[in-house]
Amino acid sequence: MDENSSARLKRRLLGIVYRIGLFLAMLTICLPGLWIVLSSLRPTVEIMAKPPVWIPQQISFDAYVAMFSGIGKGGIPVIEYFRNSLIISVTSTVIAVAIGMAGGYAFARYRFRGKSGVFLGLMLTRTVPGIALSLPLFFLYVRLGIIDTHFGLILAYVALNVPFTIWLIDGFFRQVPKDLAEAAQIDGCTRWQAFWQVEFPLAGPGIASAAIFAFLTCWNEFALASQLTRSVSAKTLPVGLLDYTAEFTIDWRGMCALAVVMIIPALTLTYIVQKHLVGGLTSGAVKG
Amino acid sequence: MKGFKPSAPFLLLLPAIVVLAAVVVVPLLLSLYSSFTPFRLTKPETFFVFVGFRNYLSILANADFWWAFGRTVLLLTIALNLEMLLGLGLAMLVEKATRGQRILRTLMMFPMMFSPILVGFQFKFMFNDNIGLVNNALQSLGITRDAIPWLIEGHLAFIAISVAEIWSSTAIFAILILAGLLAMPKEPIEAARVDGCTPWQTFRYVTWPFVMPFAYIAMTIRSLDVARAYDIVKIMTDGGPAGRTELLWTLVARTAYSDGRMGMANAMAYFSILLSIAFTVYFFNKLAAARTQIGAEW
Repeated sequence: MDENSSARLKRRLLGIVYRIGLFLAMLTICLPGLWIVLSSLRPTVEIMAKPPVWIPQQISFDAYVAMFSGIGKGGIPVIEYFRNSLIISVTSTVIAVAIGMAGGYAFARYRFRGKSGVFLGLMLTRTVPGIALSLPLFFLYVRLGIIDTHFGLILAYVALNVPFTIWLIDGFFRQVPKDLAEAAQIDGCTRWQAFWQVEFPLAGPGIASAAIFAFLTCWNEFALASQLTRSVSAKTLPVGLLDYTAEFTIDWRGMCALAVVMIIPALTLTYIVQKHLVGGLTSGAVKG
Repeated sequence: MKGFKPSAPFLLLLPAIVVLAAVVVVPLLLSLYSSFTPFRLTKPETFFVFVGFRNYLSILANADFWWAFGRTVLLLTIALNLEMLLGLGLAMLVEKATRGQRILRTLMMFPMMFSPILVGFQFKFMFNDNIGLVNNALQSLGITRDAIPWLIEGHLAFIAISVAEIWSSTAIFAILILAGLLAMPKEPIEAARVDGCTPWQTFRYVTWPFVMPFAYIAMTIRSLDVARAYDIVKIMTDGGPAGRTELLWTLVARTAYSDGRMGMANAMAYFSILLSIAFTVYFFNKLAAARTQIGAEW
């Protein structure tokens, strides 16, 4: 009897400790982001206040209005940066996925000599730190006259994304049973038709998530973009964020607002792909 | 050329190889060459002067470089180990949850959506000595009266950067390890329990070997872009105060673009590339080993 109740008490205590642990972990994860969102909506006076104001007294969207009303009002050209980011990210994603599909299919469906060597080689090109790669690219781009252009950055981002899209798409094609395509070929499809009508639709969701992953990589990239772009004509949002720190005083509220603008597309897209992403990474890698 | 018929996988891989050769391999060869010249951006003619290993020798004799190198390795060691441990802990916490696991999983992925530059900005804001959340909280709770100079004092700045780095990358480990935990069959655990294993023994000899390959996948992915710490440091401290948080990558950027000493910077960049490759190859081998071990059991 006594043993029973003490065991029950112990179990309940453990349950409470577990809940607190989980709550603290989630708080640590979410708080920084929430704080940014909150700060972007408060007047600057409240951000600077001493002693700190914890609960916002008034909510204002001034930071967002100022940001989108152009350079004249002390904002930065966010609309242009946004447009550059979008053009560069979408174009390079489309190209990288097309190349990645070809490569991923080759790894998933064919046996050839030096397969794992080629795979490791592709991955190694991805390990080159952006800043190290930016040195020769900077020099070459100046010579070729494509510095500070959309084209230059798109080219660099395609190369950045190809290894990873190959890895992901390889994994998704492996999940599609080989027999299906073979059955289609026996029924008279060519290999090309079997690919487009059987394998591609089945691997489709996975390929879509590889695309979103590639998009996010471009959307978030900073090291290369900061050196290969100079002006409003090609600067992307991450580089634009530094515009705020260029002056002597930092416009915290403005930076928070821009941060929110940057995070919203990323947030939505990641939410859509989360399930497939994990599946692709693990299946591609564990079952070799 | 008669009778030469390239194989299908070669043709399929050709575009990838062409792009990577053009944008990564050829430029890297160029930078390898220029690391043997005293090339400066302001003096283009120096590109054709060959000085052998002079750049490398002067780097090896440069104390600042070694400090940055050591600091980079230290940061990576601390960050990767803590990320692994915290990720494992987080994954096990979430796996235990009986209700709302979907929401918890989504929340857990939250930091992954932040680009490194945003992570850096966010923690620069939070660790600000005057208006930052951390100091405000500490002062309101009465833990400290004076503002702690987080980003102004060298060691504290290093800690702040490590915190930012760990916050942003723990999610990758947590998610992949959680995927491993969820994919794991339940029978071995029950069998271990019936046979009288303690929880620790069950974890050590049943769960961990199974989850290990997933942890190594996370490690491999992570080691592919360890250099993103550059973004975080660039915006948080820019290598300051007085070079106390200078990493290999910020040092390369400073030498190349602020000082214009491209030859020297390229030589340094080669050290950083070799460091990245060493990390990746190491974890890739571990992954392959773990994979064959698991493969034998499956």
